[in-house]
Amino acid sequence: MAIDELQAIIQRCQILEEADFRGEDFNLFQVAGQKCLEDGYAAQLLEVVQNEKNKVVIKNMGWNLICPLVRCILVYKQEDDKREHCLKILDQLVQLCNAKELFLGLLEQIEQTSGEQVCQTVMLLLQPLQTVLFKLQNKKAYSVGLSLAMIMNQLTPLPVPYTKQQMQEDKLGLCQCCNAVVDFAKPFVNEVVKSMEKSSECNDMELKEELLKFCMKSLKYPLLTAQLEQLESIEDHPFRRFATEIIGILWDMREFIPLVFLHHKGRSPFWENEEFEDIERKNSADSLACLAYLMFVHYFGIDCFPMVFSPSYLLQRNMTHIEVLLKRTEESVLSKGLDLFESSLLRMEDNSLLHHYLEFSDFITVPQNLVKVMTLCPIEHLRKKSLNILQLFINKFDAEGKYTLFRCLLKTSNHAGVEGYIIQNIKDQIHLSLTKVCDNSWFTGHHLISLLDLVLLLPEGAETDLLQNSDRIMASLNLLRYLLIKDSEYDNQTGVWTMLAKIEQNFLKPLHVGLNMSKAHYEAEIKNKKENRREAHNSNTVCSVTVNGEKMPAMTTEMQLQVLHSALFTFDLIESVLARVEELIEVKIKAV
Amino acid sequence: MTTDEATKNEGEVQAAALAERGEDITPAQDRGVLKIIKRPGNEDESPMIGDKVYVHYKGKLANGKKFDSSRDRNEPFIFSLGKGQVIKAWDIGVATMKKGEICYLLCKPEYAYGSAGSAPKIPSNATLFFEASMLLDFKGEDLFEDGGIIRRIKRKGEGYSNPNEGATVEIHLEGFCGGTRFDCKDVKFVVGEGEDHDIPIGIDKALEKMQRGEHCILYLGPRYGFGEAGKPKYGIQANAELVYEVTLKSFEKAKESWEMDTKEKLEQAAIVKEKGTMYFKEGKYLQAVIQYGKIVSWLEMEYGLSEKESKASDSFLLAAFLNLAMCYLKLREYTKAVECCDKALGLDQDNEKGLYRRGEARLLMNEFELAKCDFQKVLEVNPQNKAAKSQISVCQKKTKEHNERDRRIYANMFKKFAERDAKEAASKTGIEKEAEKAACEKGLKTPESGGQESEGHV
Repeated sequence: MAIDELQAIIQRCQILEEADFRGEDFNLFQVAGQKCLEDGYAAQLLEVVQNEKNKVVIKNMGWNLICPLVRCILVYKQEDDKREHCLKILDQLVQLCNAKELFLGLLEQIEQTSGEQVCQTVMLLLQPLQTVLFKLQNKKAYSVGLSLAMIMNQLTPLPVPYTKQQMQEDKLGLCQCCNAVVDFAKPFVNEVVKSMEKSSECNDMELKEELLKFCMKSLKYPLLTAQLEQLESIEDHPFRRFATEIIGILWDMREFIPLVFLHHKGRSPFWENEEFEDIERKNSADSLACLAYLMFVHYFGIDCFPMVFSPSYLLQRNMTHIEVLLKRTEESVLSKGLDLFESSLLRMEDNSLLHHYLEFSDFITVPQNLVKVMTLCPIEHLRKKSLNILQLFINKFDAEGKYTLFRCLLKTSNHAGVEGYIIQNIKDQIHLSLTKVCDNSWFTGHHLISLLDLVLLLPEGAETDLLQNSDRIMASLNLLRYLLIKDSEYDNQTGVWTMLAKIEQNFLKPLHVGLNMSKAHYEAEIKNKKENRREAHNSNTVCSVTVNGEKMPAMTTEMQLQVLHSALFTFDLIESVLARVEELIEVKIKAV
Repeated sequence: MTTDEATKNEGEVQAAALAERGEDITPAQDRGVLKIIKRPGNEDESPMIGDKVYVHYKGKLANGKKFDSSRDRNEPFIFSLGKGQVIKAWDIGVATMKKGEICYLLCKPEYAYGSAGSAPKIPSNATLFFEASMLLDFKGEDLFEDGGIIRRIKRKGEGYSNPNEGATVEIHLEGFCGGTRFDCKDVKFVVGEGEDHDIPIGIDKALEKMQRGEHCILYLGPRYGFGEAGKPKYGIQANAELVYEVTLKSFEKAKESWEMDTKEKLEQAAIVKEKGTMYFKEGKYLQAVIQYGKIVSWLEMEYGLSEKESKASDSFLLAAFLNLAMCYLKLREYTKAVECCDKALGLDQDNEKGLYRRGEARLLMNEFELAKCDFQKVLEVNPQNKAAKSQISVCQKKTKEHNERDRRIYANMFKKFAERDAKEAASKTGIEKEAEKAACEKGLKTPESGGQESEGHV
């Protein structure tokens, strides 16, 4: 029997000096011990391990049992006595074994686990690991860092629970595990804090550096992907708790302010080389963005943040983070970017953001990213939100800023809907300039003319796809109509009357031609379809469309006709506004 | 009365006193920021705009509730004065303070967080009360955070826009070296091309941070001055530190990249390429980098080009990257040189110059093997390239030298270790060895493995 074999080896070794243990003894011990566990003799093994006489043997050889032990514990059910025995054996080993071997044994178990067992294994071994780390004589900081990095690497592939239900269920145990890892790290944090209190210079730089790495990693995963909104009926939100702890650690180690404020760590003794610093900065971009989100959207750690910064400066600092977040496509990250952007903007008063901020490159690229979300993101509520935020962003700028931003967006958006929206905004600004007493040189006179040059034209002349561009064209026509009605040609504040000839040439004339061509084309198409309806009932479709991997049903002739008719309707609409505009021009010109 | 209440009352008294007797320090004289000096500063020195200032402060709301204090953080608050980094009341108020001064400030919401407030601590339309003390000396503004250009602003400019690279500026400047004035002139030039007028690169760089009408003093380190070459024309030695007083009279900005269409970008690219080459020939590498860099910034991210345009664009980019690589080699910025070569090779993987320059850069970075690979590839492309051949032999020679040096170092080291190991072996048990073997098999680094420690001793 396995237990007898084990006894035999141990008895042989009991009389030996430590130095005389041989390699084969280790092997025999391991094989026999493993067999005991596999055959269910945990209780007996426990007795062996607890036996005072075996202390020396266990001290040297015990770490070999970690692997089978962990395997058994994970297999046995909670209420099983054998599990209880195994846990006691583990306890005993942690007390007795050589720290160095035991540390490696434990780490190996964490390294080898995968999938659904990761959290279980990690939680099982955290306590022993902590005890062992405290016993280690040398290279403690390195070992703590290695442990934390290993644990976080193992957790990272796991999906982060996102909905309330998923969090409550916590199927893989990730929520629980994350918080257990923080508890694991805390005693080491306390060591660093104590050593910092003693002298202003921290003696434990290496340990501090390792813990800092852990915090940065945690911000990136799981926090960046986690849902951090306050949820009703979850009192102890696992990730909010985790976030609080992480920020607490950063604060205690006096790294919080440097991180949010300077965007880099207080001191980095290891990276004297600038290049490494660059790499590190790139790697930490996600973490820093998450930190800013936590602070400005959810007010984590805001008590420690200086309350004298101007809102524009805060927006400028956050722009870097917003850009990082908006470039991503995951809902959880994207929505964090939008929230951070929104909260930064809500701190500002309308018209208070000076146009010179547009000289920071991210003030130009972020709205462009926002437009991408608006037009390409498959998630509706994010599209809507990003549109609202774009409006908010526009509202915050002074007149010159709005002007420049409009120019930029008109040139870069490549989307008729967005262009239409911007043109609508231009109209609103002109309206304000014309009706308010305050002087606004940017939306009247020569500045406006150069802006209108971008608006009152067909992008590709008469060949422009009118249907595709209908949003833009309608907005432009509406704007032109507004100008003609609101601004009398005697005042000519907007300058529209001086540029009439150009508008005719670049916009109205080609639009006429385009409308005639398009209408003729679509009408012919409808006629065709109607004639063919009887003959070609089962006609071959020219192409098929797949959405999300599912093939869309082919369009019936009826549906095709409907589409063609609605196109004609759009042309009619454009034509009627165009007619109205031309009427206005004619009346005024005749009146002269 | 508890201490809390005491301080609260004290705060109210101070606020009331401020409202009554405070000096109105706003330029508009609208009583938006009121100030009382509690303790005057020791010296009659006020900070200049852009200076880094160190302030300890305590902030309270009208109801006496403290919302922030730098003392709670155990460190003074540091910011650049007059840059809009802080609420308006602070930019105005701190500018009036002298070194060592302690004062009270009462700030109307228009000069603080206004109707928007600042969640979660500052409510809408809040009047704020501050006690502030000015610490330390002020430091000028370190423009590029490398100590190379320090600016102190004598007179603030108007507005907020700055000349960008390629902008046309009109300035007045006076240059000093070691207390003597060597240059004084009014001049109009394009930012990035100051060298044409014997103006060092540091002025070009600093101009990009100046505003219309600004008058400032610039302290230039040698790298931003006339560098190793000096300036014989002005009798300036190598590696001299320079001081300039500059007034930016006016400027006209160059177009931003997004304002230009592809045609324009391609036309301009041809012009700046010429300019870059001119600078390069004169050995003005920093200036050349600016010109070539423009091509990259205009064309690298340009989309939707026609076939013809795209061809032209690629050829400009290729030339720009290759020339940038050459400049960086001359400037001894080898990593950047390699980066540029990589980009050039991304456009044309068999580019002879690209491969050769990358080889050169790597050789200078002591990456002999990689360098050798590059030169070998050059020979594959063009077997006639004699320079590449001789470079390969240089690589081999260097590798050999390097190996020999290593061998000597390690020989000593191994001898030492052998001695120490012999000592240790006596005390070491077989078990430990076993454990280490196991650890190696696991693929984990033993925290105390011999290799790690030995590195520490080298």
